Amino acid sequence: MFGYYIALALRSLRTTPILSALMVAAIAVGVGAAMTTLTLNYMMSRNALAHKDDVLYAMQLDNWAPDRGWQSPNEMPWEINYKDAISLLHSDIPTYQVAMHRWGGPLSREDSELRPYSAEARVTSRDFFALFDVPFIYGGSWSSDADSNPVYQIVLSQQTNEKLFNGENSVGRTVNFNGAPFTVVGVTEYWQPSPKVHDLNNGNFKKSAEVFLPFGLHRSFEIYSWGNTNGWKGEVIDSYETHLGSEYVWIQYWVQLDSAQQLEDYRDYLTGFIRQQKAQGRFPRPLKFGLSRPSQWLQLNEVVEDDDYMLNWLSLAFLLVCLVNAVALLLAKFLRKASEAGVRRALGANRRAIFTQHLVESGCIGLAGGLVGIFLTTATLALMRQLQMGALDSVAAMDWLMMSAAIGLAILSSLLAGLYPAWRISRTNPSIYLKTQ
Amino acid sequence: MLELRPILSALWRHKVSALLIALQLGLTLAVISNAAVIVQERIQQVTRPTGVAVADIVTAHIAPVAKDYDLLQAFRLDLAMIRALPEVVAATVSRAPLTGSGSSSGVQAEPNREVGATPAAIFMVDEHFIDALGMQLVAGRTFAAEEIGEASETTSWRSNTVIITQQLADKFFANTQALGKAIYFSGEDNPMEVVGIVARNLGPWPNSTRAGNAIFLPILMDTQKHDFIVRAAPGQRDGLVKLLEEKLAERDSERVITVKTLEEQKNRYYAGDNTLITMLSGVVGLLTFIVALGIIGLTVFWVAQRQKQIGVRRALGANRSTICRYFLLENLMIATTGISFGVAAAQIFNHFLVSAFNQPPLPPATVASCALALVLISLVAALIPSLRAANISPATVTRSL
Repeated sequence: MFGYYIALALRSLRTTPILSALMVAAIAVGVGAAMTTLTLNYMMSRNALAHKDDVLYAMQLDNWAPDRGWQSPNEMPWEINYKDAISLLHSDIPTYQVAMHRWGGPLSREDSELRPYSAEARVTSRDFFALFDVPFIYGGSWSSDADSNPVYQIVLSQQTNEKLFNGENSVGRTVNFNGAPFTVVGVTEYWQPSPKVHDLNNGNFKKSAEVFLPFGLHRSFEIYSWGNTNGWKGEVIDSYETHLGSEYVWIQYWVQLDSAQQLEDYRDYLTGFIRQQKAQGRFPRPLKFGLSRPSQWLQLNEVVEDDDYMLNWLSLAFLLVCLVNAVALLLAKFLRKASEAGVRRALGANRRAIFTQHLVESGCIGLAGGLVGIFLTTATLALMRQLQMGALDSVAAMDWLMMSAAIGLAILSSLLAGLYPAWRISRTNPSIYLKTQ
Repeated sequence: MLELRPILSALWRHKVSALLIALQLGLTLAVISNAAVIVQERIQQVTRPTGVAVADIVTAHIAPVAKDYDLLQAFRLDLAMIRALPEVVAATVSRAPLTGSGSSSGVQAEPNREVGATPAAIFMVDEHFIDALGMQLVAGRTFAAEEIGEASETTSWRSNTVIITQQLADKFFANTQALGKAIYFSGEDNPMEVVGIVARNLGPWPNSTRAGNAIFLPILMDTQKHDFIVRAAPGQRDGLVKLLEEKLAERDSERVITVKTLEEQKNRYYAGDNTLITMLSGVVGLLTFIVALGIIGLTVFWVAQRQKQIGVRRALGANRSTICRYFLLENLMIATTGISFGVAAAQIFNHFLVSAFNQPPLPPATVASCALALVLISLVAALIPSLRAANISPATVTRSL
């Protein structure tokens, strides 16, 4: 029976090509607009650390000014300062802990034709790879003494290794970074979380680092963060040492706490740490620290912005208008074919059959609309990638889930749109149409 | 006006279709008036004057390969080379505005105050900066060459003189002469005398609340964060991008050289706003188009249904314009109903957008102009099938009666 309805629907659609095309277009445009914003919001809401969401925590300390908090939802700076990071790294409570920040500089290989190029770097303590689950192709992380002493070791990303060594095992080889020779100790597998949950204050959807360097190098290179550095009071910075010892915040800090006991111990540890600092005249604000899971961290950092939500609502309103449009057109179309329905009724089809048949016809329109809608969504997302000049490349793309969602949304919309017209046509009185035949 | 009654009774027979069209027009008004007001606000934001000659400026960044590199010396030599180029009007070394990255600090009109500081962007510049950025000096003087100090990120730098934007001068010294007065970094006692005022500079973050607050200090800073800011002679900008790459590499090839136009960087900063503008304009256009198609479709259907009626009316003496007017009037009644519903819906939708997503409030003028536009579009859409209705020949239709 269903096959018969589909055959009927196709025949009916062919008899009114313009009206059918209009309906398909209305659904396609509505679905295209809705799916564009839904895809963006869905991609922006992903959590690359979901599988470790119950053990990882982004840490914040409130070392800000006595008279005002930081301008974030929980009034704490996103980053911490260097001296606190160094103290906290000594704790043995967390399974893994990472202090890190963005950096960069010219990268080259001694005996290579390749011209030096500017590479994005992440200066980090060694647990980075274990904490964020970054797999290695070759080698591994540096030794633990590299977190406190200047050890010239470097980990390359897969892409960097391709570029410099054509993808060969480069462990033990030497690269030149910022004018100094570094020994390659590891090559990571492709790792590009988007949004970049581990680093949300340097562009949420940008690429991850191309090289990774140990945390013990600060003094030998006088490293200044390539991210945000913020302070709240007038501090005289007259040497690199005073920069490191200042209240300036520029270091991102994460911990992995596997058990509830560990979490509790770490809270106690942080409370103790802040109390101790308060006794020395630091941390003028009420005692407060933050431990946010990756999912909470993404929300706190407002990765999905107000503009994105607003676009989402506008596009759903758009879909609604398209649906109302489709209802009107379907009604017109079905009423025009009322005589056929009359004949079918007279020949014994019951109201339910007529209703189903017309609903199937609406569904066919929806399916066609959905397919065109996917095309429109893809085109709009491509336009968005271009308009955003690279900032949204990793999120403005449809995956299979979103494509099936588009088809689903289109069919659902068209069925909803078809409900009233199909019901209306199933109520027609066959006798009227038989009389005029 | 005699036609109103027959129109009403005809509409009553098609009340669902008529209501659907009205509903569509109403919802469309709600969406497009809200989209229009957002687009308007963003366009204003993006196109307001920056205070600098965006279209002519090129920035160049050098990252030396060697570890111990005399950056200040390189700055001096490179600047001398750049300034000698015939395509160049002026050049300086500093941080480029409008890029989304820079530094800022709290500034006060009184010494040793920490509370209530005004955040302002800090630019460390040399004596050529006003020319290089194409800014306008409205009072006082620019820096003198011998005034420019040297500093690095690890030396404490403080200046005795400062140039500020008009906006900051108005804020600190409203109605009085700012020249000669001193400003201070928050909580410090080192006075910086205001020696000049520039008309405008939006600073590094044009979308932030501190946009337009900027101070310029006479310091040549030893930092990799600084770029050469080069203003090209009119029409020479794009050529200068290539030329600078070559010339900088020629002077010293052991460094990574990145040359960009300021325009590109500004567009990158505003990319989110520009995307929103394009997307919302697209929504407005498409939605209007779809509604127009819907109106055409339905009017075509009604005309087809009432062919006989029309034929009879024509045979009984109604002329073409009467028939045409009938359908236009019918459409106008539907449109008016829909629009009045839409005005209310637009306000409700806007209330939601304002409170939940921080969007601008909807002024009545925008709703009114959008409503008027929609009515006109619906009339034009109805005109096409109406004209066809008017062309129905009474003879062919009445033959089958």
